[in-house]
Parts: sequence; C-alpha cells; structure tokens
Amino acid sequence: MKVIVVDDSLVMRKIIVNVVESLGYEGAHATNGQNLLEILEHCGDEVGLVLLDWNMPGINGIEALKTMQKNSRLRAIPVLMVSTESEDVKVEEALASGAKGYLSKPFTPEELATKIKDILG
Amino acid sequence: MSKIILYDCGAEVAHMVNNLFGEKVAIQNSSFDAQRPLQEFSMVIVETGSKKPEQLLQQIKALRYACNFRNIPIIVMKKKSDTYPKHPYIMAGATEILSLQAPPLACRQILQGYLIPNRQPLDQEMEYLTPFINSAKHVLKTMASIDAEYKELYFPNDFRIFGDVSGIIGLSGKAEGTAVITFYWDLARKVISQMMRVTEDQINAEFIHDGVGELINMISGFSKKYFIGKPYHFELSIPTVVMGSGHQIGHPEDVSIALVIFDVGKSSFALQVCLKPKIKKGN
Repeated sequence: MKVIVVDDSLVMRKIIVNVVESLGYEGAHATNGQNLLEILEHCGDEVGLVLLDWNMPGINGIEALKTMQKNSRLRAIPVLMVSTESEDVKVEEALASGAKGYLSKPFTPEELATKIKDILG
Repeated sequence: MSKIILYDCGAEVAHMVNNLFGEKVAIQNSSFDAQRPLQEFSMVIVETGSKKPEQLLQQIKALRYACNFRNIPIIVMKKKSDTYPKHPYIMAGATEILSLQAPPLACRQILQGYLIPNRQPLDQEMEYLTPFINSAKHVLKTMASIDAEYKELYFPNDFRIFGDVSGIIGLSGKAEGTAVITFYWDLARKVISQMMRVTEDQINAEFIHDGVGELINMISGFSKKYFIGKPYHFELSIPTVVMGSGHQIGHPEDVSIALVIFDVGKSSFALQVCLKPKIKKGN
C-alpha cells in the first residue's frame, strides 16, 4: 500500500517517510497540495493514506483536502493531517472537512506510528 | 564586579583601561585563545597594530563565536597611525572601534555605557516570550531528543546576529512580528541529524537549510495555541532561511526584539522574538 507524505519541508518528509516505511508501507511524497492532486490524478487507486501538512506554498493542505472530498474517486482515501497548526478550531475544521485524524507537530515517531495504525488498522 | 578581558594588548592599552576603571572592574590581560568561553566577561578588548589586520579580523570572528550569542561587546582599540578602515572590524563582529588618542573621558563614557547591565524583561513581555521559550525546549526535546536549557534573555540594539544559519517566520493577525532561530553550523547539524535519526555526516547544507526553517515553524506553531483569545494571537507565514555569519534580520518597527539564549551542552542557539498586538483603527 502506498502512503503519500505531503509537506513542503524536505526534512519533515524524510522523517515521516521513515516512519511510514518502518510500518511496512511504501512511502511516496509530494511538496504541496497541487503536487498531491496531480499524483492522485494518475495513481490515486494505489494510495491507501495521505499524510497532509496544512501550511504550504501554493495549494495548502486544507484546500487540497477539500478538493479531494469533492472528487468521488478521491473521497475514499483517508487523510491524516500532520501540521504545526494545533488549535482546536483548526483541528475541528480539518476533521469537518473530511480528515480521518489529526497530529500536531512536534511529534515523536511513536506518536505518528500510532496515528497511522489507528487509521489503517 | 564586572570583568574585562584584554587579548594580546600592549602596555599602552592595559594602562589606559586600568586608569579608566581602576579597581571598579576586574581586568585580565591574556594571550588570544579562541576556545575560551567568554560568558563570564562583560567586555572584550583587542588592539590593532600588534598584528596584521587580516589576522585580527579572524580573531574577532572567533571571539564573536566564543561569545555564544551573549551580549558581550568586543572593543577594538586603534592606534592613530593605523589607517586600516573600521568597517571590516565591525563586519567581523566588533562592537566599537576606539582610538587610543581619543580623550580619556570620552573613552570612559563609551566603555561604561557598554557595562550597563541588560534590562530585565517586563511582565507583559514575558507574557508572550514564555510560550516561545517553552515551545523551543519542547520542540527540540520531542523532535530531536535534545535538552535545551534556557540561559538568558536580553534586548539587543544590534540587529546583526553572528550565527551561521537562521530560520525566520513572519507572524501576522491580531498581533504581528517575527520569530527567528539562529544556530552555529555544528549544532544545527547535530539537531537536524537527530531529528532525522541519521548520522551527522549524512547531513548536508540542504537538510540544514530546510530543517532550521521547519524548527522555527514548529516553535511558532506550538507557541500560537497559548495565545488563543489574547491580543498576542497570530497566524503563521511560510518560513524562510538565511545563511552566513553576521546577517541582519529585519523586524517590525517600534517593537522590542528579545534575544533568548539556550545552551545545548557547550554550544548555544538563539531565539529572537518580536511580537506586538496590532492597534485597532479608531483607538
């Protein structure tokens, strides 16, 4: 199963992909919302989970999430928001927009792994 | 009692400094030592003339690093016959260039000005600084298993910061300002390597550039939730990164810039925060 990590930070993408791969999933990455939507357009059927940052240049995470929810083919792909935004109002907005879970930065690898397992079972 | 260290200074400078301060300060004259920590000193004095300007410039750079972001003035005493320009010394990290031929009273006033203790932060300043201090410690501990110890805080007059790499984030919304984290190269490499769970030799400049930006992003983001419902609440911009010693950071006008120093082992990093609630129109 492919897990796409969407973050504009190279370091953060590598940290998250390491955790994803340690759980036995195939890690792929995108650098912003636009990049994610392009990837999903071509290989959305192979994607089992999207880990999505919020603040990114271009199409940001919440915009990409809302776009996914409007697309009947992409709506079923679970999204875990992984963001520096940690206020309740932001968490509620993400969950109301269709995210299956929310993890605030900073996080430990164990906390991320637990969130992924909660969604993927 | 304040302590002043004179590095490689001749009898003329030593005599002058002793005459200016007498027994009010402890004066030490030593041979140059780049490795010696300078935290215990209130001032460092070097002189031109006894060595080539290029050598002195290198020594000033090393001394500025040895200050570990502390607000320690580096004073260059210059002989009148020395025609080398002042600007390179300032660029290297010197605070002031004084002529040995200047009137003693003027020298004393200038040097005494640098010995005035840093002002203490006001309670209202600590209200917005404390969340940033706690967040910086929390982010380094959580992401990199690094214990950062908060050491001191002051309000610099000089916008230049003599680190190697700074992550900068603009803050806007109900309050506006900037937050900046500055590292020396070695500590930045160590922090990023521990965040990525790889060895330090696997960390290149691109990782440091990106990682330092992400650190200030996380520190500001984690601080932000403490300001919910308060006039200091802000939104985050996309972080940027500047590299190079002695770079200058722009901050909004009319706001105190606090520089917070953290120690990690023998090294340090600095966090600059300036944040001010926006004044509502009509008030």
